[in-house]
Amino acid sequence: MIVPFEHLLVLASLLFFLGLMAVLVRRNLIMILIGVEIMLNAAGLVLVGASALWQQVDGQVLVIFLMALTSAEVSISLAMVVYLNHRKQTVDVRAFNELRG
Amino acid sequence: MDSRLLFLLILLPLTGGVFNACFGCRLPRALVALLAIGAIVGSFGVTLLCWPLAAEGTQVTLFTWLASAGLKADIGLFFDPLAATMTLMVTGVASLIHIYAAGYMEHEEDQARFFALLNLFVCAMLCIILADNLLLLFLGWEGVGVCSYGLIGFWYAKSENALAGRKAFIVTRIGDLFFTIALLWLFSLLGTVNIAEINQRATELDPVLLTPLVLLLLGGACGKSAQFPLMTWLPDAMAGPTPVSALIHAATMVTAGVYLLCRLFPLVSLSATGMAVIAAVGALTALYAASCAVAQREIKRVLAYSTMSQIGYMFLAVGVGSVAAAIDHLLVHAFFKALLFMGAGALIHLAGGENDIYKMGGLKQKSPLLFWLFLIGILCLAGAPLSGGFFSMAAIVFAAFTRGDGFLACLWGIGVFTAGLTSFYSFRLLYLVFFGSYRGKKTAHRLSPLLIWTLPPLALFGLFGGLFNLPHFYGGHELLGAWLGSTPAKELPLVTELGLLVLMSLFFVAGWLPAHLLYRNFEVEAESSWRRFLLQGWRFDALYEWLVLRPYRFTARFCFIAGDKGLIDGVVEGLGRTLLHWGGYMRQLATGQLSFYLQGFAWGLLLMVGWLLLKAVV
Repeated sequence: MIVPFEHLLVLASLLFFLGLMAVLVRRNLIMILIGVEIMLNAAGLVLVGASALWQQVDGQVLVIFLMALTSAEVSISLAMVVYLNHRKQTVDVRAFNELRG
Repeated sequence: MDSRLLFLLILLPLTGGVFNACFGCRLPRALVALLAIGAIVGSFGVTLLCWPLAAEGTQVTLFTWLASAGLKADIGLFFDPLAATMTLMVTGVASLIHIYAAGYMEHEEDQARFFALLNLFVCAMLCIILADNLLLLFLGWEGVGVCSYGLIGFWYAKSENALAGRKAFIVTRIGDLFFTIALLWLFSLLGTVNIAEINQRATELDPVLLTPLVLLLLGGACGKSAQFPLMTWLPDAMAGPTPVSALIHAATMVTAGVYLLCRLFPLVSLSATGMAVIAAVGALTALYAASCAVAQREIKRVLAYSTMSQIGYMFLAVGVGSVAAAIDHLLVHAFFKALLFMGAGALIHLAGGENDIYKMGGLKQKSPLLFWLFLIGILCLAGAPLSGGFFSMAAIVFAAFTRGDGFLACLWGIGVFTAGLTSFYSFRLLYLVFFGSYRGKKTAHRLSPLLIWTLPPLALFGLFGGLFNLPHFYGGHELLGAWLGSTPAKELPLVTELGLLVLMSLFFVAGWLPAHLLYRNFEVEAESSWRRFLLQGWRFDALYEWLVLRPYRFTARFCFIAGDKGLIDGVVEGLGRTLLHWGGYMRQLATGQLSFYLQGFAWGLLLMVGWLLLKAVV
């Protein structure tokens, strides 16, 4: 392996953290979805790295599976964003607080 | 003849009552009344048919009602001379009163409810009379109480009627409590609730226990029969419709106490103290009620107090050991008191719904027939010589006299004196209602012929009721006494007997004369505190209010405020409030913002990762 596994882990952590921050801080629904995608990709990166490290194919299989799942998830999420936008003419998450106690 | 026919006695009124209760509202009015009357008259017919069964005493069981661990109670009847006599009287009087009621209630709403309750009452009353075990008797005992409650408060829209019903129910319940204790105690001592067995084995009981047992039974009888000290409910019970007063509060239910004591007489008679107390209670109530009747203004209340007083006589008779005299007086009293009450109902109609005898007067001209019938009732009540009431009352007084030790002689004196008072208030009633000029302002209602023509049979039985138990002295044979199988009264010397008769007659005249002088041409009566005292029944209501109700209400209030409101509500509501308070803080966490929740996740993740790192390092 060319890249040391530690570097890869650090990169993945950074990516995950950035994604998380995007989810937590941004108020735009689409941005939050992008944050989620980034977090998923960070997880995928770790899986690929681990697969290369241990010479096991399972990780790569899982990543391909993850990609398929993610694409499906994005399509549903975006459809829901469109629906939510249709309902309130905004994609700001602060507008959708009906679950407040 | 199949002895199971006897069950028809109870089942007919029960069917009539249940049917009217379920479907009476949808039936035409005439049919409702006809059904009710038919059920009772049918019962009367069955009694006549079954009469031969009584001579030997017939025991018949329909099925076992309760059976567990030694307790066995059947739905079973015991038809002996005592029960047969009572049954005949109850069904007979009830038939006439039902017919009368059909006329009396013809313009009332809720006729179906009235007749259903009346039928159920007769059913429960027959249950008391015919039961072969105390448990079934108790069922009837409570049944008559419930029906009485429902009928006193029949016009429940007026709250005082409903209150009177409640009072009657609760006061009799106090007596019932004593009866219940006696019943359970008897069961635990003898292991049976069968009346015949209890009577047979009464001698096995410890003599020390007998007296409290008899006193407990007396307590039950006092409640039902409105005897001292549980008598306050009867005058108020007059709030019910007049047929109800005639049937329940004069002829039948109030005599259930006397019947109970007679039924258990072999047990009761074993306790000399108990018997003395019964006699004393009877004599005192007779005197008390007669004195109250002297000052009453409402026609039905006069009769209510007189009922109480007459039942006092019956208790006295039981107390001096003469069941035959008690039952004889019970029968005759049932006839003439039903007559008086039904007459009073007709009179109230004639006076345009007026209850107050001071506002009646001169009704003799309006209905001479009613006057004669009422006069017969009054003569019987007052104990006019040779009327039915005279013989039965004289028999009681004789019985008390023949037993004559010092204590009973005293009660005998009270009895004789009360006879004078009875005569006085009876004639006061008669003079105020029928003589003089009409003092009221209301116009008469039309009288249904049913209201008049049901009275003559009762008058006949009242007037000649004495012949049933005519003592040997008059050439009679004490038929009733022989029928009931009681020992004939001790023969007194002729002079004593004559003397007693003359004495009774003298007291009758002594009561009549002042009434004649005072009330024949009555205008107005001066108010006096003495009269008010009697009018309010010696202020016993106020006394009980002060002695029982106030402390009771105070305790209830205390329990309510301290126990219920303070303790229970405090704990429960406090818990709720605390949770609500803390919930208020917690709900602030649920902002509805997804990112806020995710922050929580993130911090949690950080904490876990930090913890793992810390463990890895250390």
